[in-house]
Amino acid sequence: MDGGKFFGAFRASSGITDAVVLNHVPVGCNWGAGIFKTTSNQFDMRHACTVMHEREIVFGGEDALREALIRADELYDTPLLLVIAGDAPSIIGDDVEAVVDSVTLDSEVMWMEAAGFKGSAMDGYEEALLCIAGLMKESETIQDSVNLIGFSPDDFKVDADVKEIRRLLSDAGVEVNTVISKCSLEEFRRAPAAELNVVLGQGTKLCEQMKKEFGLPYLKMDYPYGLDGTSHFVGAISDELGIGHEPEFDIEPFKRIYLYLHELYGTPVSVIGDFHAEAMANFLDGELGFNVEVLSGNEDDYFEFEEDVRNSNTTILFGSSFEQGIAETLDIPLIRFCYPVFDNVSVYDCAPYAGYRGAVCLTEAIINTVMSYGGMNK
Amino acid sequence: MQMSKQLQQAAHNGGSPLREIFRDRVFNGIHQGTTWQFHRYGINCKLSGSVYAVSEIEGAVPLIHGPAGCAFHQRLTPRKMYAPIYNLPCTNLDENDVIYGGEDKLRDKINEVYRKFHPQLIAVLPTCVSGLVGDDVPGVITELDLPCDVLHVPSEGFAHRSRESLDVLMRDFAESWKDPSRSPAYDLRGCGHEEVMFSIVDQLMEEQEIAENLVNIESFGRFTYGFRSELAEIKHIFGEMGVSVNLTLPTCTVDEIKRAPAAELNIVTRNLRWAERMKERFGNDYLRKWFFYFGLDGVEKFYHDCASKLDLNGVADGAIRIEKTQSLQELERYQKVFARDDFAVSTQGFFFTPYLARIYALDLKLPIKYLCVDMQLLKALNISEETIEVMEKNMQEAFDEWDLGFEVVTNPTLGEMSEIAKKVDHVLSDRITPPIYEKGGGVGVMDISATRYLLFRTGFSGIVEFGKYLTRELNTGKTHQNSREPIISRFDYDTIYYPMLDDDRCSASREMWSGMWGMKSVGCDDNGRR
Repeated sequence: MDGGKFFGAFRASSGITDAVVLNHVPVGCNWGAGIFKTTSNQFDMRHACTVMHEREIVFGGEDALREALIRADELYDTPLLLVIAGDAPSIIGDDVEAVVDSVTLDSEVMWMEAAGFKGSAMDGYEEALLCIAGLMKESETIQDSVNLIGFSPDDFKVDADVKEIRRLLSDAGVEVNTVISKCSLEEFRRAPAAELNVVLGQGTKLCEQMKKEFGLPYLKMDYPYGLDGTSHFVGAISDELGIGHEPEFDIEPFKRIYLYLHELYGTPVSVIGDFHAEAMANFLDGELGFNVEVLSGNEDDYFEFEEDVRNSNTTILFGSSFEQGIAETLDIPLIRFCYPVFDNVSVYDCAPYAGYRGAVCLTEAIINTVMSYGGMNK
Repeated sequence: MQMSKQLQQAAHNGGSPLREIFRDRVFNGIHQGTTWQFHRYGINCKLSGSVYAVSEIEGAVPLIHGPAGCAFHQRLTPRKMYAPIYNLPCTNLDENDVIYGGEDKLRDKINEVYRKFHPQLIAVLPTCVSGLVGDDVPGVITELDLPCDVLHVPSEGFAHRSRESLDVLMRDFAESWKDPSRSPAYDLRGCGHEEVMFSIVDQLMEEQEIAENLVNIESFGRFTYGFRSELAEIKHIFGEMGVSVNLTLPTCTVDEIKRAPAAELNIVTRNLRWAERMKERFGNDYLRKWFFYFGLDGVEKFYHDCASKLDLNGVADGAIRIEKTQSLQELERYQKVFARDDFAVSTQGFFFTPYLARIYALDLKLPIKYLCVDMQLLKALNISEETIEVMEKNMQEAFDEWDLGFEVVTNPTLGEMSEIAKKVDHVLSDRITPPIYEKGGGVGVMDISATRYLLFRTGFSGIVEFGKYLTRELNTGKTHQNSREPIISRFDYDTIYYPMLDDDRCSASREMWSGMWGMKSVGCDDNGRR
């Protein structure tokens, strides 16, 4: 099930870590987008709402938006206010641009229209990044550096994954310039200093724009799950930059649990999620030897996915917290790896799922989950 | 004792009511606690309240009439964070539907949902988008010919209560503390739950022959800690009175809802509107469970009032008296232990505070020297300074009139709490404040934030269980825990909006929400203040 354009725009916008997101919506949309963001970062409160009420629906929400902008500018010490107009203002026809133009504030203000019914979460993510792309500035190129594009601040394991990817790239002699969208405004502005954009699943339109405006090439890569996935990821970037680094990994941790891996070989599993899902399926199939019976994307029909899983031999499910329902129905364990995860936290930034270390952590999580599940006692 | 056995059976996994409370606190509270905190920065959609209420009905499927994004996040309803609503079908309205209307999609989706789930009830929940487009949901439902019931619940997210409504209600509660007959007989505008309750009365219930001494109880579902054992006790006491419980609303089956009008009396725990509608349509009387039904005398009054409504005056008196007397006898043992020491109790200012204090002072007979009342929480709920002043004044007057004999300390600082702690043997806190008092190995405070839920029950045994628990803790010396330094006591907290961290962004977001929400109230100035 897809969150729609508003959610995508919110996730991309709130990834500018010193910006404040002003949602021009009724209370529920603001709550929904915020609640998933705060599971593993409970004091990162940088979003607010214009509280569109019946009065705004009847008379328009422009006054409320103006008032909210003025208040936000007074209350927050932020260089950037990002206004996201959702479904209701889109239908009633609020002139968001006119309101933004009518106020003079200390903070810079950018706005975007992101009615949920007008597109997918990925559309919202892409358009939000395009909207703020105008803030980027021509910068002196940093040799052998890349931007990583496609992250959101509420991705499960995002901090640990980024840290691991940075480590791996650093070993390859590659510097990470900016992580989008998980960076400060200044880092975002300086993104054109990179030599290469690496896009992971989403953010391609921004890359196109940066290529056009700054001549920055880009590389589309799968999310680096698993040993082979990581090697390919690091190798491809290294090749593109002309470094020619051949990454190495340590298979020793897997040796310690090789008998469990033997027993899990051929396990039928199903995977659902956003762009992370395919890369995860590749790891499970290609490296752990699982049999991926059903692979589904968020934009596919969710009930069809459920039906397919029911009709399969799936014994482990990989997805978001929302897949716990079908996992319970089928009495199988769920490994959470994809947004939204709201019933597990990930705060330790040295236990990634991405990269070589991530392959170990992920394998450990799978085995521990299976062994402690008590499936034979249910 | 028979009661104890019943409670044991009712409690989860064969444990005691106390264990049930702790289990609920851990397994529900770990999710629920965060939503309370997030209410500092916003509120959830009316739609989520409706999704929750429908999910309580066995055999019902909620159907969102709106864009996919609404169904995406409403699956995690704040009222039931521990159990998302996994099956939440949606009409997935897109731009085309916004222009041409979504009625055809709704018709098709209702049919599809029936084919897929074969539910007894489909509850159609419109969203902001379908509300704005003006889809005729009742019209679509009327045209359908399905072998299941289809319900329309007005759930558009932009139609919610204003900030001022809670402020006014809180003030009116305060005005009625000394004279419960002045209790406010009106409702706050619904937040989704009420809309479902009204719709099931209006559209689903069927005329029944009213059976004598049969009651319905409005539940607030498993959201309430200790719900199962409390319900068991209510049924037990009613049973001793010759009264049967027909069902709990809306936590029941679709068929049971249809037969709900067979009850002679509805026990209302939240809003009145649905009960008034039932009275209007089917003639069922109702009784609202007010704050003054807390405590041993309050519980006794509750059952007497029920008996009176059911024309059981005199008949049920004996049963109620026996239950209360048993509890009083058991409590005496614990009161002797409490009498040895002096206490300070830290509590929060809310509509139930005076009656909670009565339980501590009169039912448990805790020798309380200081009652420390934190009124700051009310500010976090956007209650005005004027209302807080009225509450403080009326609370003090009520305590004086009831001659509870303790000194009230409002919003004590850490230093003041430290001084108070030196003058008493034990400090109890019924909010999760001990961590801040433990900062730097400060004041030893016993946390009774979970066990206090035993005191709010519609039965006598909860207070007894609490007394037993407190006695055990006192005997093991667990009230003095000031030698440790828990991690959560090492953070800096906002002094007013605890447990919000002392963080500029959190403060700004809270103030932003408070101001913007305040603007939606009638009679506010430009700053959103009354």
